[in-house]
Formats: sequence, C-alpha cells, structure tokens
Amino acid sequence: MNNDHHKFYSMRHFIIAIVLMCCFKATFVHAQTKIKLSGKVTDQTNLGIPGATVFSGSPLKSLTATNGSGEFVIMIESEAELVFKSIGFMEYRVKLKPGQTTILVRLKDNSKEMDEVVVRGYVTRSKQLSTGASTTISGDKVQDVPVSNIEQLLQGKVPGLNIQVNTGAPGFRGTTTIRGISSLSVTGSGSESFLQPTSPLYVIDGVPLDADQASQFGFQQQGPGVSPVSMIPQEDIASIEILKDAQATSLYGSRAAYGVIIITTKRGNSPTPRIRYTLNSFMQKPPKLRETLGGNLERQLKIRQIIENAKSQGDIDRIGSTPFLADSLNAYYNNSTNWQDIFYRTTFNQTHNLAIDGGDQKFNYKTNLNYYKENGVIRNTGFDRYSLTMRMEYKPNEKFSFVGSVFGGIGKTNKGEGLGLLQTGVANNGMASSLLPGPSFFQSTSGVVSALKTKNDNNARNLRTNVEAAYMFLEGLRASTNLSYNFDSNTEDTFTPAAANGQFAKVYAFNGRSDRLYNRSAVTYSKSFGEKHNLFINAFNEIYVEGKQNSITRQERTPNDQFQGPLGYDAYYSRGGGILTDYRNFRSASFAGAASYDYMKKYVVDLSYRLDGTSGSGTENPYSKNPAVGLRWNFKQEDFLSKADWLDMGAIRLSWGMNINPNSSLVDIYGRYNINGNYNGLQGIGIDYGLIPNPNLKPTTTTQYNLGFDIGLFKNTIELTYDTYYKSVKNMVLDRYLSNIAGFGVLKSNDASIVNYGHEISLTVRPLKNGPLTLSFSVNGAINNDVLTQLPDEYNGQMIRWDSNQDYLQHIVYRVGSNTLSNYLRVNQGVYSNNRNVPVDPVTGLPYQTGGRFFEAGDPIFKDVNGDYILDERDYEITGNSQPIFTGGLSTNIGYKNFRLDVYASFTAKRTILNNALADRLRLMKDPFGDRAVVPLTDLDMWMKPGDVAKYPYAYNYTRFGAIQPYRLDQSLWEEDGSYLKINTVTLSYMFDKKLARRLGVQSIRVYVSGENLHTFTRYTGPNPENVTNMGRDASGGYPVPRKYNLGLNVEF
Amino acid sequence: MKTQISHQTRLLCLVILVLCGTACKKFLNVVPKDQLTGNNYFKSKEDVESNITSLYSKFFEKINQTQVMGAVGEYRSGEVMVNPLHFKVNEGRIVEALGRNDLHNAIDGNAWRDRYHLWDITNWTTYYQVIQGTNILISKLEEGIPGLGEAEKQQYIGEATFIRCFTYFWMVRIFGDVAYYTNPYQANPLGRENMVSVLNKCISDMKSKMNSMPWTNSDPSKKGSRASRGAAVALIMHMNMWNAGFDPAKKNAYYAETAALGEELMKSNAYSLLPLKNWDLVVKGRSAESLFEFYRSINYGDNVNIDAPIAAPFLRWPFRNPRYDNQVSLFYYTTEYMSKLFPEDLPDKRKEPIENDGWFGDQYGGGVYSGDDKFVMTKFAHNIPASENSAVNPDNTFLIFRYADLMLLRAEALAELGNKDAEAISIVGLVRARAQAGPYDGAGGDELKDFIFMERSRELIGEGQHYFDLVRTGRIMSSKWARHPLNRDQFNRRAWTWPIDHAATNNNPYMSLNDYWESSGL
Repeated sequence: MNNDHHKFYSMRHFIIAIVLMCCFKATFVHAQTKIKLSGKVTDQTNLGIPGATVFSGSPLKSLTATNGSGEFVIMIESEAELVFKSIGFMEYRVKLKPGQTTILVRLKDNSKEMDEVVVRGYVTRSKQLSTGASTTISGDKVQDVPVSNIEQLLQGKVPGLNIQVNTGAPGFRGTTTIRGISSLSVTGSGSESFLQPTSPLYVIDGVPLDADQASQFGFQQQGPGVSPVSMIPQEDIASIEILKDAQATSLYGSRAAYGVIIITTKRGNSPTPRIRYTLNSFMQKPPKLRETLGGNLERQLKIRQIIENAKSQGDIDRIGSTPFLADSLNAYYNNSTNWQDIFYRTTFNQTHNLAIDGGDQKFNYKTNLNYYKENGVIRNTGFDRYSLTMRMEYKPNEKFSFVGSVFGGIGKTNKGEGLGLLQTGVANNGMASSLLPGPSFFQSTSGVVSALKTKNDNNARNLRTNVEAAYMFLEGLRASTNLSYNFDSNTEDTFTPAAANGQFAKVYAFNGRSDRLYNRSAVTYSKSFGEKHNLFINAFNEIYVEGKQNSITRQERTPNDQFQGPLGYDAYYSRGGGILTDYRNFRSASFAGAASYDYMKKYVVDLSYRLDGTSGSGTENPYSKNPAVGLRWNFKQEDFLSKADWLDMGAIRLSWGMNINPNSSLVDIYGRYNINGNYNGLQGIGIDYGLIPNPNLKPTTTTQYNLGFDIGLFKNTIELTYDTYYKSVKNMVLDRYLSNIAGFGVLKSNDASIVNYGHEISLTVRPLKNGPLTLSFSVNGAINNDVLTQLPDEYNGQMIRWDSNQDYLQHIVYRVGSNTLSNYLRVNQGVYSNNRNVPVDPVTGLPYQTGGRFFEAGDPIFKDVNGDYILDERDYEITGNSQPIFTGGLSTNIGYKNFRLDVYASFTAKRTILNNALADRLRLMKDPFGDRAVVPLTDLDMWMKPGDVAKYPYAYNYTRFGAIQPYRLDQSLWEEDGSYLKINTVTLSYMFDKKLARRLGVQSIRVYVSGENLHTFTRYTGPNPENVTNMGRDASGGYPVPRKYNLGLNVEF
Repeated sequence: MKTQISHQTRLLCLVILVLCGTACKKFLNVVPKDQLTGNNYFKSKEDVESNITSLYSKFFEKINQTQVMGAVGEYRSGEVMVNPLHFKVNEGRIVEALGRNDLHNAIDGNAWRDRYHLWDITNWTTYYQVIQGTNILISKLEEGIPGLGEAEKQQYIGEATFIRCFTYFWMVRIFGDVAYYTNPYQANPLGRENMVSVLNKCISDMKSKMNSMPWTNSDPSKKGSRASRGAAVALIMHMNMWNAGFDPAKKNAYYAETAALGEELMKSNAYSLLPLKNWDLVVKGRSAESLFEFYRSINYGDNVNIDAPIAAPFLRWPFRNPRYDNQVSLFYYTTEYMSKLFPEDLPDKRKEPIENDGWFGDQYGGGVYSGDDKFVMTKFAHNIPASENSAVNPDNTFLIFRYADLMLLRAEALAELGNKDAEAISIVGLVRARAQAGPYDGAGGDELKDFIFMERSRELIGEGQHYFDLVRTGRIMSSKWARHPLNRDQFNRRAWTWPIDHAATNNNPYMSLNDYWESSGL
C-alpha cells in the first residue's frame, strides 16, 4: 500500500526532500543538542493510535513506535523534523519548534475516497484513478457478530450484491449474486427447486478461490465439503472489495463472469509484538415455530372435522375404528407431545480468536488462530472450525520483497440426517400428531431416531500456501511471481442406526480430495512523462493445474449398530460407490495485459485484455478473450472547480467490458464414448446417448456497460456513489430436451440470453465527525431488472420447465420479453361464496369441474384459462417473479465517548414467494384419520359458511382434498410478496479507558453485545421471507435461520 | 533511456508470450483419464470396429427386448394360436390379441403385459440412436481416420450405411412413415416423411455405397453376421419390393431393379443353399446361406432374452428345458393353415420331423398338422446347449436375410414383371429342390405369383417375414391369405402399422402419430 503511495507521490516527495535537505543543512550547524520529546499520536476522534511509527533523519530512520494508547517518548535533536506514519492514516510531517518537548499529532485517516486504493488485476491502484465499479468494505464492519460464513455479514452493505441468507444450516452458504441472475439452470423439483448458483470469484490475498468448490452436485447437495469462504475467520479480515462491472472484473477472466470478491487479510504491523484475543459467546434461538393444536384440542378438532364433513355413515363409523381418535383413555393415545421441541433447540456457543503480529515495513509477521463452534438449532447438526493463518513479509530494501503465507483449517459439519440445507426428515417428523407419545427409552419412531441418532461427520481439511516474490529491476518496472498450492481433503461418514432404517444399520462414506497449483507471474511498469502524463502497464499470466477425485462407499446393511466398518463385507448389500463422475483433471493458462493512462489524474483511460485457455475447451480453439475499456473524468480536478471547497471530489466513470466464459467441456463438444454392448465376439464402444455433442457450443458472453458517478461533499460529510449498468448475458447454457427421433436425450444449447439492467446507489452522511459524539448514516440500494431476451427457436419464445414432483407441480416458465424466472400456476381468484357462483357451461349445462367433480361453495375459484369449464393442465398462466428487484441496506453508526452503537439492516423488495410452508400447514387437514398434527386455522381469512367472501378455501372438508384439491400447490394463492426489511445486526460496544486497561495489565479492552437476525419486518405470512430457496419457494423442510445473541470481548496485550 | 526501457519491456513481454504460446497447447491438452471423449476416439481401425460393434449391438437390443420379430412379422394375421394345454396359456393369449390385430390389447392386456411389455416395440428411440450412431460414424470416416486405407474406409462407410438403411427399413415396416435424416448430431425435431420416399432415399444411399463391400465377408467369423454387399443387395431388393406395393405407379421399375439385383446376387455365387440335413448350420448362423443375421452365441456369452427368438414359443422339451415347464409348446400354427401351406399329397421334406431333417415335430409327435396340443416347430430346434434344467433357448442366430428369401424375392419380381415366368419358375424350383419338394408345375401369371407367395410362407415360416409379405402384396386384405384380414379402409388407414409411443410428440411439434391407433384401432 505504502509502496504505491511512494510511486504516485514520489515526485512531490522528491521536491520536498530537496527543500528539506536545504533546511537541514541550514539547521545542522545551529542545533545539535538532544532533547527528550514526549508525545501522543491520535486519530481525528482523539483516540490514541497504537503502533504508529515515528521517523526522522535523512534518509528516514524509524525511531520508535507508539504504545497502546498512542504515546511515545524519544530523545531527538531539537528542531528536528519528524515523520509519523501509520497504516490507514495519512503520513504527517512536522518540524519541531525550538524548545518544544511535547507534541500532539493528530493523523488524518486516509479512508477518504480519494486516497483509497483498489485492487485491479492483483495490483493495488489508487481509487482516484479507477474506472470500474467496486465497493470496499473495511474488515471492522464484519466483526462483532460471530458467523460461520462472512458472506452473510456483507448482506445489505454493498449495492448490487444480493446476498440472501436463505439457510440457517451451520457452515453453509446462502446465495450470493452480483447484479442479477446469470443462470437458467434449475435443478430439483417442488420446494426443492434450486437455481444453479453463479457465485462470484473469491480472491483471497491474491489467490483465486472457487466458493462453490464444495458443491458440485447442485445447490441442495453440497457434499461433505465446506465452502472455502466458510473457512476464513472473520477476525483475520482486513478488507473486502467487491468488483461489479466488467472493467473491474475482466482482468480476472472467465472465472470472474459473476463478479469478484477480493478479501485481504490482516498484515503484521507493530514494532513490538502484539497479541489480540477475541471471545464471542453467543446464543442461538430457533425462530418461532409452527403453532399446533395439542392433545385433546387436536382430537376434538379431528372428530368435529369428520362429523361435519363426512359423506356417509361409514366415515363416521370409521372414527370408532381409529383408536387414536376413539380411545382417548388409552395412555398411548393420550398425550400432548410437542414434536417440534424434540428437534429444535436453543444453543450456546463460543468462538475464540488469537492474533499475534509484529514487525515493521521491512519485516513483519502475523499469526491468527481461530476456533469457532456453532451448534445448530436443529438437534444433531453443527459446525466447528479450527484454523491457523500465518503470514510473513520481508522487504529488505525498496527493490525486493518476499511474502509467504500458510493457511490451514479444519471444518467439521454435522448435517444430521439431512442434506444440510434441507432437513426434510425433521420437518416431516415435526408434523407428527401430538396425540402420539414422544420418544422415550422404550419406544421411538424411526423418523425420530433417524433425525437424532444418525451419526454424520464431515471433515473438510484445507491447506493453502502462498509464496510471492517481487523485484524492481528499474525505477517503475517491477516483476513478481506468485506460487500457491491449495489442497482440500474432504470426508463424510454417515452412520444410520438400525432403529432408524428398518432394523438394519446403514453406512455411507465419502472420501475426496482436490488440489490446485496456481502460478502468476506479472510485470508492472509505471512511468510519468513530463509531470502530466502517467502511464501504468500491468501484464501477467496465470496458470492453474487442478485435480479432484471423490469416491463413495455405501453399505445398505451392516450386521449391527456396533459394526460401523470396515466397509464392504458383503457384496449383496454394498450399494456401489467408487469414483464419482466429478473427477477433474484441469488446466488453464491465461495472459492478461492492462494499460492505464491518465492526464494529470484528471482524465483516465483504462484498457485491458485477457486471454483464457482451458483444457476443457479442446485444443482447436482454446482461448476466450476478455476485453475491457474504462474512462474516468475527475471533474473536481478541473480548474473551474478547484476553488469549490464544498466539493471534495467528483468523478464520472464509464466502462465497457466482456467476460467470456467457456462453459463447455470436452464431453459437451465431442460427446462421451462408453463401453457398451458386445456383438459377434467384439466389445462395442459407442457414444453416450444422454447428451448430444454440440461442436457449435459457444462460450457464455457477458457484456456489461457501466456508468458511474462519485461525489464527496463538505469535507466528507456526504459521499454518494451512483452506478447504472446494462449487463447482457448471451449464449447461456440451457438443456434442451430433444425429441426421441434424435436418439439423444439432451442438447446443451446456448441460445438463451438474459439482460440485467439496473441502478445502484450508495449514500453516506456523516453529520458529526469530530467530538465525543460521532454519527454516520448510510443507505444503499439497487434495482435490478432481468429480462429473458432469447430462447432456442423451437420454443417460440416460451419454454416451460414442468415440475416433475406430482405433489407440487409448481412449474417454471421462461418467456422471452418477461422476467426470467416466472411461475406457471393456476390463477386463484378467490373462493366460491355460494354454489350459484360456480359458472355453468351453457352448452352442456354442467358446472365448472375438475377431475370429474363439480366446484361448490367453499372451493377455490381457479381461472378457467381456456374457457372449457374444465380445470385441467391447460389452465396454467404465467405469474410472479421469483427474483428480487430491489435489494439494499441501511446502517447507522453512533459513537459517544467510549460507547459505540452499530446497526445494520438490509432489505429486499418486489419478489414473489410461494408460501409452501402455509400450503403444507393447510394440507395437514386433508386426512383427519391420519397421524399428522393439526394447526389452528382461526387466524386465516377462510370460507366457513355459504355467503362468506374469503381468501382461503374451506379446509375442514377433507373429502374435497382428493379431486378438487382446494389446497393444491400449483396455484397463485400461495404467491405472496416477499419484501422484507431485516435488522441484520446490532452491536453495542464499550472501549475501556486506557488507564483502566493498563491497570489490568493489558493494552486495551473492548466489550460488546450484539445480536443478529433480530427482527424482520414483512407482510409475508410465512415463517421467514428470506429463508426460502433461490427460486422463491418456502420449503418447510428448509433449515430455519436462527436468531443470535452474542456477548463479545476484545483484549489486546 | 525511456524508449530503451519500453523496448525492453515490450521485448520481455514478447518473449514470455512466445514461450508460453508454444508450450501452452501442450499444457492445455489434457486427455481425460476418467472418460473417453469424442476427440480422443476414432483414432484407429480398432476404434471403428468397436464403434460399429456397438451399433449392431444397439440394434439387437431392440429385437431382444421381447418377442419382437414374431409380434411384428409373424402373428398378426392370425395363423398362430396359443396351446390351451400350456400352463402359461393366459400369458400366451397375447398371440391371439396380435392375431386379431388388436394391438392395444396386445400391449396392455393384463395377463401378459408385464411379461411381454410390447409397448417397447412402439418406442423407436433406440432405432434412432442407431441412426445417429451410424451418421456420426460415417461423418468421422469421411473426415478420415488415421491408419485406415481408402478401401477399408469405403468398406466401413458401406457397412455403416447398411446399418442406417436397414434401420430405416425395419422402422418403415413397423411404423410406416418415419422421420428421415442422415446428418450427424441431428438435434432439431423433424416430422415423419412418406415411407416410399424414405425407402427411395435409402435405396439410392445404399446403392451408392454397396460396391465398396465384398459380396460376402471372407473372414468366416463375419460371414452373415456383418454387413456385406450381399446384405446390401438383399436390403435394396426388400426395399424395392416394399415400395412396389405402396407406389403402384412405379412398381415395374421396382420389380425390375429387384430382379436385376437378384440376378447379380445369384451370379456372384457368393451364397448357396445348404442341404436340409445341414439345416442346423443355417440356424446356427454364419452359413453360406446367410446374407444378414444378428449372430448370437453362448460361446461369446451373448445374452438373449428368453422370449426374444420367434422359435422359443414353438418349442418344447427336449428342445427346451426344464422338462416339467415345457411339456408342450406355447404357440402353434393351426392345422388349417399348415394344411394349406403344406398340402398333404405333395412331397416336401420340410414337413418331416427333425429326425428326417424336417422342420416340424420329432419322435414324440407334434408333426406339421398336429395343431393345438402337440405342435412343435423343430425348424429352430438345433444347437441346443447343455443347459441342465435351466431355461435356455437353442443357441441359434437371428436370421434376417437368407439366400432362399432373396431367391424367392427375385422370383416374385420376375413373375410380377409378367414376361419372365419361366425364369421365375426355375428359381422357385431351386428353393423347392433343396426342400426335396417337387418343382412347380402350374401356370404362369397370377397362379405363379400366388405360388411364390405360398412358397415364401413355407420356406420362411417362423422367420418374421410372413406378415410383411402379406402387407406389401396387399394380400392382407383377403381372407384367402390371412385368417384375420384387414378391410381396405383399415389398410388405407394403416392398420398394419404399430401405434407410436406418445413420447414421440414430446419436444417435436412436427410429429404425428398413427391415426388408426390413435382413433380407436378398429
């Protein structure tokens, strides 16, 4: 960082240095006496800055560093010139007055937009000269609330970065998208439909990392691996930068098509070794669970429901033969079990983090030890993390630098019997009738045993090493090379005890490894011509060698619960396994170049170009090209504004760029050949008919235009950033199902395109900056509209993805010209208030019907789209949009003396959610003879008697659930507005007085209380509008997002 | 200085780029270890062989699904009945449903649907997989394959073309009109094309490629089991004869071509009829009489569905085991039909029991006229493996085109042409001579035509040709020839086809189904 400052200000420094030398010479003769100087270095709020370095002399020599409260004492020549430096602050120079023995230095922090730096193509650049759209979040904004995955703390902090914490499963990621959707592939069915994630590329300390590494099988089955993002301890993060537009991302190539998130970890910076300890102990509470009627209430409701709606005497007689309704005196049926309580719990957890750092500009080091433990709110689930980060930096002189770092981590997840994100077993068992006895020593249902006693142990071990060396050959010409090796080992062991699996124990074992060797060699050159023209060139190449191999073993039956291995004793019950098909042996090589030119820092032109070649695209045409152009005009620098004091900075940015992402594999292009069949004594090898080779498969091309505007007013009191963009994603891969005359099943076609366009705005107001009371307030928001612009020709502009789950039939329709992901449902228009409201076919004289039964009062009014008086599969209509249009967040930071209050909130608006949770709840009413719980329905606007005008059809008439299906899931009744405003985190902290801390033998103490996911304001009637799949379906089998209360402590020794 | 530096920089960049550029191709070429991708296949003659093997095997998969050849080619005119004494008579009644042309019932009848699952016949996906496979293979061959000489390449193209055309021909006989394409990687949907036009395209396709193949494979292991020019000629003759029936305006041209090709085939002397006492060699396969067959052998561990061969339901112990399950054969040809086919007063070795090298009955009875309770067709009762008591069929081949079939087809064409009766009679005589049956001594013209038809029915009984002969000659519309005739209206509405699985209309707006079966099947 400082290095770059040197570069840009070298000319000015040079002049200053000459001037100073003259001064020195002048003073040299006069004063030689040494004096004792004591002083204090503080920031703008008068808080001492620990570790600030004091320099003097020519060349500059470091004399000392400030202590924990920012104070220092030195012996120095009187009237000497001192330089104060500290990371994150502007350098400050002062010349001592004759006789001066104390000094108070107030450093200006350089968080000002103008002096901020951004990372572009792995090198830091001044933000003042950057043409792309990006947002930087400093590390201290993601502290104070312990989370297993720091992504969720970014929610609502960056305009255009849409993070939905849609699972509370410990260790799992929610969904993260930058500037709208870029994928059409939907996997799964019903409530378990998921849009294929298109996660941004993560670059951690200069090393690219795939966040989705662990989830190759699609969203709902993450495999045993833990996302690498979940392995980064939040305490170790110095800053996070989110790159959004193509100019910013193009240098990162194909992998950056969905944006880039750059994480920089902390560096060592303290002349005396420093130890910082953080403790968080937090409580997690499950959200409000479904209300159920317990015990006798349940029995009464069921019996009343039967008596009132029975169609025959036989139905009523059936009560007598259903013991758990009739035999209320039997102890077995005379319970009021709270089943949900058996599965959900409140947990207490702790995290510890120990950071040790030290060193100066020449040599510094840091070590970070982290332990994180989170017990899930669903029993038998949890996440533990152990990690160790070490980093050292050696810079013996201006020319040479060397950095080495090691990261090692273990993530242990317990998914219970579920898949992590989905806990369908728990959700299903949680709906059991309260009349049944709860699990006990003597008896327990297999579902309960399965949920509570399944032993699931996932271990993700991650080792990441990185070495970087750089050398400056000539002034401005710097060459560097970075070598990193990343190794992951993932194992999963699941043991299902006999009682949970039809009296036979079951074993599943997963074993996988993946590795990546990464090398980047770069040359940068910077040069100024005649004071005004500045040129910066950055050229580098990247090489990846990646490997992965996973294998599984499944044993359907083991002899007993004590025998959990070794596996494979009996071929008959061995259910296959072996190497999984996601074997990977991949290489890529890339070349990138960027040139940046500015004229007096006023006009900036950025050009960049990158070639990506991968082993996946065949050797014929392996390279994809990513060009980008960016322009910037710092209008504040213009003469006519130079006197405008109220304007700190102002700039207009314009950029264009392309990210070309080869999405084909060799199999997609050339087909796969399998050993299959034999004939006439020979072994046949024939093409695999699953996927038709498509030699014309084009890479997905993302073209993005961005227009941005930055302004800072009244000495940073107001900062405003506005961006508008147009992002066109062409040649998206869409599986086309072929007609059977093609012989092949699926064609990977890329004739689908989406356009995303929108606006992003971020406003920060700091009305009170100095003094005991500080206040800052910021708001950001983004509007993203997506439009489907192209589909393969034969669909004539509309493709329906039929839901294969017959219980749901919640189809998805892709229609050109409308938003990309719409639902395709029956339109519910209310409830028939009276029988005479049911329309009658004038031709046949028969009322509106479905499945051979006529609609009656109390039944839902389904729109008869084709007007044939019969409701069938032709009566679907396009409706809703599962993707949010507005997202954003708010934050307030208040400081008063040693107290500080930070409140962060985020919002999402204009989004359709299918409230399947409510549907499931109402569908519990369909069989009063069954052993499911019943829920109170009195709070619903439900039709009860003829004449009622209601929203929800009559739920008690269980005989209509068969043919009429009033609560069928494929209707627009469940579509609700999923807008919400969530109080993400609130932190109240107190920094102990220095003196008090010193008395306790430590440098500083800070205590804080914080809460996460505190409240969600919404009109949505389901449990949580955020806790839904990325297709907007509120799966009642999902993992609830818990509420978190935390007590934390920071101590520095 | 400045310019020097930039020169140096540029030079450095250039050097890096050049170094990497040359090495990169190599670096980026990863041959996947876990799978064989198309770009690493078709690199040698062995690859072509194994690919063509997979195509034959793919096609056979379709025949092997159930009793396919009998269901499509033998039973639908009603001459085959179920033996009421067989303990699985209820399942066997499927043959009667087929014999009434009641295909909906044959497919869905409760008693037999699970055993015979005839809906498999209505799904043509596998045939189109074969076609895609051949189209891809031909395109790869045309691109050139390392290590393959020009002659070999052309021969393989001929063989692949045969598989393609044969598949179309087979589908036409089952479904009528079908979608036709020859380009590889066909992904776009297509509608069905008139079957006459499909076959005409196949005829010209096959004619242009057949000369690169030898008349018969010199390698004895490939004789009959792999396509040769003989097989191609046989296919073209059959396709011509089919079109002659459905394209009456040009029928003489079709007949003439059939006759000419038949003459060419016979003059090549590549094939011959084996004496009846060597009949076991013919049904075992790879014989001099076989033009094309799907060769199966237990020696290769080939898996044959127990219900797939037509022969299977016509056999009983000692030709099938276990004895207690196979006291009688499941199906029989009615005595009435057999008496018509093999008049009692005329000598014919084929009527004899197996011990006398004949095709019907054995020492325990079950002769040609024995009818329901005894009948056994010993035509395919050869090559019985020692199977102990497990249910295994005789180790026979699946005959598709046999020399006698083509000789009779030539005779039929000659007779149809009208002025070549003598030639036709002499050819029929050759076939009859092998059966030690007397020569044809009747008149020419229609009588001769009818006799040739009867001779085909006799000679090819149980080989899955009978129903197609009835259809293409129009005889299916006469109760003189078929026990269950179709009326002209049914015939015109293609009652002779099979229904098409509705899956065909998925993702294919151009697709139409067989109306006859979609309306009522009546």
